[in-house]
Amino acid sequence: MALKINGLGIMPEDTRICVVMVGLPARGKSYIAQRAQRYLKWLSVPAATFNVGNYRRTNAPHPPANFFDTNNAEGERQRRAAADAAITDMLKWFKSGGVVGILDATNSTKERRKWVLERITSEGIEVIFVESRCDDEELVMANIRDVKTSSPDYVGQDPEQATLDFRERIRNYEKVYKSINEDKDEDHLTYLKIMNVGKQVFINRIQDYLQSRVVYFLMNLHIRPRSVWLSRHGESMFNLDGRIGGDAKLSHRGEEYARKLPELVRESVGSDRPLTVWTSTLKRTIATARHLPKHYNQLQWKALDELDAGVCDGLTYQEIADQYPEDFAARDEDKYNYRYRGGESYRDVVIRLEPIIMELERSEDILIISHQAVIRCIYAYFMQKTQEDSPWVPVPLHTLMKLTPRAYGTELQTYKANIKAVSTWRGKGSTAKHEDPSPEGGI
Amino acid sequence: MDTLLTAEIAVNAPRYRRKSSTFIDGIHDVPEEQGNLAPAQLYSTMSGRLFHSGRIAIVMVGLPARGKTHICVSMARYLSWLGVKTRIFHLGDYRRATVEGGHVPQDYFFPNASPSSVMLRQKILKKCRDDVYAWLNHENGQVAIYDAVNPTANGRLVLAKEFAKHDVQTLFIESYVDDQEILKENARNVKISSPDFYGMDPDEAAKHYLKRIETKIPVFETMNEAELNYVKMINAGRAFYYNNVSFNYLSHRIVFYLTNLHIKSRTTFFVRAGPATDEDSYKADAPLSEEGKVYAEKMTETLLRHREQERQTANEQGGTDIPLRPLTVWTSTRLRTVQTSEPLKEAGYRVRQRSQMSQINPGVCEKLSERAIRSMYPEEVEKHELDPYHHRYPRAESYHDLAVRLEPIILELEREQNDLLIIAHESVLRVLYSYLMHCSTMDIPKLKFPRDEIIEIIPAAYQNEAKRVHIPGLDPRTIPGSPEDIRIYVPHDNNANIPPIPGMSSPEPAEVPIASRPPEKIPNMAKDMVSDKVADED
Repeated sequence: MALKINGLGIMPEDTRICVVMVGLPARGKSYIAQRAQRYLKWLSVPAATFNVGNYRRTNAPHPPANFFDTNNAEGERQRRAAADAAITDMLKWFKSGGVVGILDATNSTKERRKWVLERITSEGIEVIFVESRCDDEELVMANIRDVKTSSPDYVGQDPEQATLDFRERIRNYEKVYKSINEDKDEDHLTYLKIMNVGKQVFINRIQDYLQSRVVYFLMNLHIRPRSVWLSRHGESMFNLDGRIGGDAKLSHRGEEYARKLPELVRESVGSDRPLTVWTSTLKRTIATARHLPKHYNQLQWKALDELDAGVCDGLTYQEIADQYPEDFAARDEDKYNYRYRGGESYRDVVIRLEPIIMELERSEDILIISHQAVIRCIYAYFMQKTQEDSPWVPVPLHTLMKLTPRAYGTELQTYKANIKAVSTWRGKGSTAKHEDPSPEGGI
Repeated sequence: MDTLLTAEIAVNAPRYRRKSSTFIDGIHDVPEEQGNLAPAQLYSTMSGRLFHSGRIAIVMVGLPARGKTHICVSMARYLSWLGVKTRIFHLGDYRRATVEGGHVPQDYFFPNASPSSVMLRQKILKKCRDDVYAWLNHENGQVAIYDAVNPTANGRLVLAKEFAKHDVQTLFIESYVDDQEILKENARNVKISSPDFYGMDPDEAAKHYLKRIETKIPVFETMNEAELNYVKMINAGRAFYYNNVSFNYLSHRIVFYLTNLHIKSRTTFFVRAGPATDEDSYKADAPLSEEGKVYAEKMTETLLRHREQERQTANEQGGTDIPLRPLTVWTSTRLRTVQTSEPLKEAGYRVRQRSQMSQINPGVCEKLSERAIRSMYPEEVEKHELDPYHHRYPRAESYHDLAVRLEPIILELEREQNDLLIIAHESVLRVLYSYLMHCSTMDIPKLKFPRDEIIEIIPAAYQNEAKRVHIPGLDPRTIPGSPEDIRIYVPHDNNANIPPIPGMSSPEPAEVPIASRPPEKIPNMAKDMVSDKVADED
């Protein structure tokens, strides 16, 4: 066991968990795995996903459906070898300090689960099985069309043909599929079974806090397709002056953006389907949302308020550098962890945003109008930005972002309002009021 | 009518107190001012309702002896901690207020009860529900927990419909137990002190009691209503089934909490770390001083002796040989707390370190005297005096920050099944204590944990109870205050109405000679308050 020990033999508690996915193909397993990993990493828990399909693909890049027939001995052997390779790599990763590993595969038989359980627990790692069950044929087909035809297995193939082939592949799995504890002889396992996209959930034998936390997150997930829209408030009077924080009103151009926003949103949504709008409790976001159609439901969250700059609230970067030179330097050195005097750090903001992320995960069609630091944290969650990078991401004013989570990553589309605004981005060490973001890494 | 009602409540429901000392679990208090009971509230809304969840009724389902009251009280504790305005409505309280002693007719729970029993039942239900609505509508309540048996599917459907009519979302929580061992254990724990079973063998008493429930409530249908939102907690949390029609964040959060809850009884002890060589520095993380090592030895000795005494007392009362529950020790990752646990570790006890439990960060106040802080940060001191709980000195943590950081610890505290000794800094003890004993945020920064006392918190289904155990023979200089604490002025309480808190209201070492003070127990009023609850059957 790789344990962190300090000079005096002090050993912090270590729990290591392997989340083993279970379920037929096209039940959103990869999606769930990827979301769980992203959430844990966002909360600073080392997490990684090991996709057995990727290991199998190195030997069989574009397998036909009958490769997955259990009577196909060669196919069976190759799939077993892929699972073995994935687990070996995962165990190696645990030894190097991993905390939550996710094994993404179908694991659809009792024998396979037993084998996986034994291999992993023998290394002192806890196992929790997570099964996604779905009997709604329509939802499954939608998932196949949406995800699987873009899967690496079907690159360059006719989508219609791919869908049919994939349906055939699933039938081969269905022949041997056993839901966890279906025969009542797997009651000793720790598992979470999510049925019909979270309509029913069964939780069995949770052993510790981290497991309960993972289960809690997964209960909040749904696998229906949806998007999240993000926008900063319109340009404010403080933005014009290059001042941070405060509760200023919108500038003329900011007002213009507020009036343009409904059109921009409709263009992005593609229909009159209403969104739910979340703003902060500050004037500038509420004002930005006020021209949106009446049938859009609007809610204000304190948790969406801008990062609290404490004593620096209302100052320009130049003033901060003059009045608090040490702080100014300390912040650039570790922007994620730096906490303003009497204020907050990015880490603090992430912690207070956790309920928002939970609520986002279980909702559909949300438009968030908030502030630079807060949008950065939410953006980092969806786009898997590291803690070093996320506080520096340029989030321009007067731009609407549409984030669409997919099984293999989040898709980003931006819609510019084409209304001029100052830049509020600031490079490391700079005290410029309005600086153009460096071309690379921008949204 | 009004006075009559007040009198009735006073007589029949002593738990609706206006104010209690911090040594009594405040979970059933009805506070006069609002907003002081939300240690870890993440944000506030105009309506005072959190998570953009509307108003919610949590309706308990389950036969007696399934740990319902324990679940209700724990849930209320956690939700209040998060800042959600929560109140429990025990139907049993209303029964007792309506019928003397709560002695309802024999057929009260029968499906084919006589018309007079049905009338009585409806009268009691109506009164309880009227209170629920009044509280949600006029007192800005958010979560009403309705504690009753609710045995039939039909009754539950009607109830959900009625709540929906009042724009209240319903979430049912059933505690379902078919494991005979758990049933017996519950019956033993909760009902053993009832006079009916006095002198009876505990196992025998438990069996009698369970039999009596069956006769009294002949029909019970476990939840299977597809159209209702419900959580079924199976065998005290071994498994959960969760039927989700229209849940939101708050409901998920409740389930998250429940997955960490268990219904076994265990004790929590709090002690301070011993004094260190460099008391004033937060950053230094100094080891224990010589006195600190002596403290660690004496504390360990006293604790182990106390546990043994408790066991003997329990055996004398219970008549059987009950073994000691195992003891787990938690410390922070700060050196002095770890070293304070050394003697216990050597004695073979399991010690775990938790990084979240490190002391409050003093920020700029590190190493400053109160006077220096006053002269350097007069405005901050002013703000601090107004709201010592939420105010944050430059670069420091507020108690609120600390509470939010400790939330995972709270959940693990609930999860722990062994007896637990927590060795931590006074600031951490204050916050954890306030969770278990439900203190007001105004009181939390003032709680005192002198070094010569072990605080013992004994859980009971209805409310927790705190005791203190004196550690004799310590150097008086090491006892008071918290030398490593931030020396920040905390305003004295001007409210003369608050009775001096026993044991916690600064008994100056000069007034009470330490050596002569006997090991003492707090007069336990909690027990009298729950005496009527003990014999209660639902």
